[in-house]
Amino acid sequence: MEKTEVLATLEKIFSEVLKCPDIKLDYSMTTKDVDGWDSITNMMIISDVEKHYGIHLKLREIIKMKNVGGLCDVIMERAE
Amino acid sequence: MEFLSIPFTVFIVITILLYYAGKGKRWQHGLLLTASIIFIGYYHLQYLLYAIGITLFTFYAGKLLHKKKEDKSASWIFVGSLAVLVGVWLTARYWSPIFPLGISFYTFQALSYLIEIYWDEEPEESLLDFTLYMMLFMKFLSGPIERGYELLPQLKKAHAFDYDKAVYGLKLIAWGAFLKLVIADRIAPSLDSVLNNVRDATGAQLMQATMLYPIQLYADFAGYTHMAIGLGMIFGFKLSPNFDRPFVSLSTGELWRRWHQSLSFWVRDYVFMPLSAETRTLGRWGIYLSILVTFVAIGVWHGAGWTFALYGVFQGIVIIYETAATKFRDNIRGTFGDHIYRPLMMIRTYILFALSLLFFRVAKISDVFYTYRHIFDGMKTNIKEMRLGMGDQDWIVFGIAVVVMFIIEYINSRHNLIAWSAKCKVWQRWTMYVVATLLIFLFGAFGVENFIYIQF
Repeated sequence: MEKTEVLATLEKIFSEVLKCPDIKLDYSMTTKDVDGWDSITNMMIISDVEKHYGIHLKLREIIKMKNVGGLCDVIMERAE
Repeated sequence: MEFLSIPFTVFIVITILLYYAGKGKRWQHGLLLTASIIFIGYYHLQYLLYAIGITLFTFYAGKLLHKKKEDKSASWIFVGSLAVLVGVWLTARYWSPIFPLGISFYTFQALSYLIEIYWDEEPEESLLDFTLYMMLFMKFLSGPIERGYELLPQLKKAHAFDYDKAVYGLKLIAWGAFLKLVIADRIAPSLDSVLNNVRDATGAQLMQATMLYPIQLYADFAGYTHMAIGLGMIFGFKLSPNFDRPFVSLSTGELWRRWHQSLSFWVRDYVFMPLSAETRTLGRWGIYLSILVTFVAIGVWHGAGWTFALYGVFQGIVIIYETAATKFRDNIRGTFGDHIYRPLMMIRTYILFALSLLFFRVAKISDVFYTYRHIFDGMKTNIKEMRLGMGDQDWIVFGIAVVVMFIIEYINSRHNLIAWSAKCKVWQRWTMYVVATLLIFLFGAFGVENFIYIQF
């Protein structure tokens, strides 16, 4: 699985959860860079990510994610 | 020993002089610890004993937790340690004959320290540094609630005197004194007279007090926080911010990211995140439940009684509604445009916050609902009643000071005013210092009780 594929999937999930079409993400983006991405919507995004990839992230993994790149890395690690 | 008192002024001047007179980390930390012990013990010896007890317990519990982290017993040590801390805090909060000042703040620091170790952070090696993390006097009474990984690294070196930082700190203290003395303490007696006896007030008075109380509370608590952060800067520390222009928030959710940030980020990281992670299989309902529990936790952190719990429930319900109704808000934005949407949402957020704060401020739930029922009974009120016992001059001073506060905060959000003022010419800077000091002494209301948040 390529990181760019994961990023493209995340863009779709972010757009659906945040109800904002065509969100463009890059790896360094944090909650400060994306309108509507906060601690509440973050958990909705995590939940959709888990459903999409059929994985279950641990609390420590969720807490340690600092940006979009961190989320991509965890997904790639767990989905393999 | 209140921040705005002669004993504290003498105490702080001596402490600063001695702090920079000696050299090396040991001297500075020894002095800061002595100063913190004097500061806390000056209030009551029992407050000091509580703080020392919790500090020692947390320090050694952290070491044990780290040592046993690969063992099955780690979870038990973790849960047991948290239970002891929460148990002591609840006992002191609700059942102790005296309430140890600052306990809600430093207990939350202790809890986050242990949780972080459980989540793989390294424990602190130095008991002296850890004690300062817990008991540093300028943040002891009312925060900011610091995280170990933010403050402890700052305690690893000695601090040389930095003129620019010291001046920056003094300016923050002056701004804090302005907020506290000219705004919060000026209006406090009048709002107290209404909110302590809502059944004796007219509708217009209830309306005035309800709508002005957020400003009083903000000026009081932000005033304290600016002073604490400013004092920290003079000693070379960077303490966490607590406020970021909360009244420009477009939603209650945003307001809680701008209001008492060190507490709201604490509950976000250590209550909401674990809870919402555990309940995410329930979908949106799990998140809503987590929001509600988190805000009830914020409410009861403030004190015993159903009023504080309902204060939390109020915030929680509004934020759940906001989370569920994003599309509705987007439609309003699309229909009216940003120029109408933004002020409309700011006003709506402020009013909801003001109404919720009645649960925080008024003693009985029945009095809160009495206020809600009678808040529009204002037609029969005359101008004398609307003065709330304050003279015209006081209202003018208060009104101008609030406008000045909002303007300065607005400009400061775009250009760092303190950094800008440092670049001005010497005569310009000193003119500003003299004028600001004179204004505080001329228009400040001296002799009012301590900071509101000291009771928590």
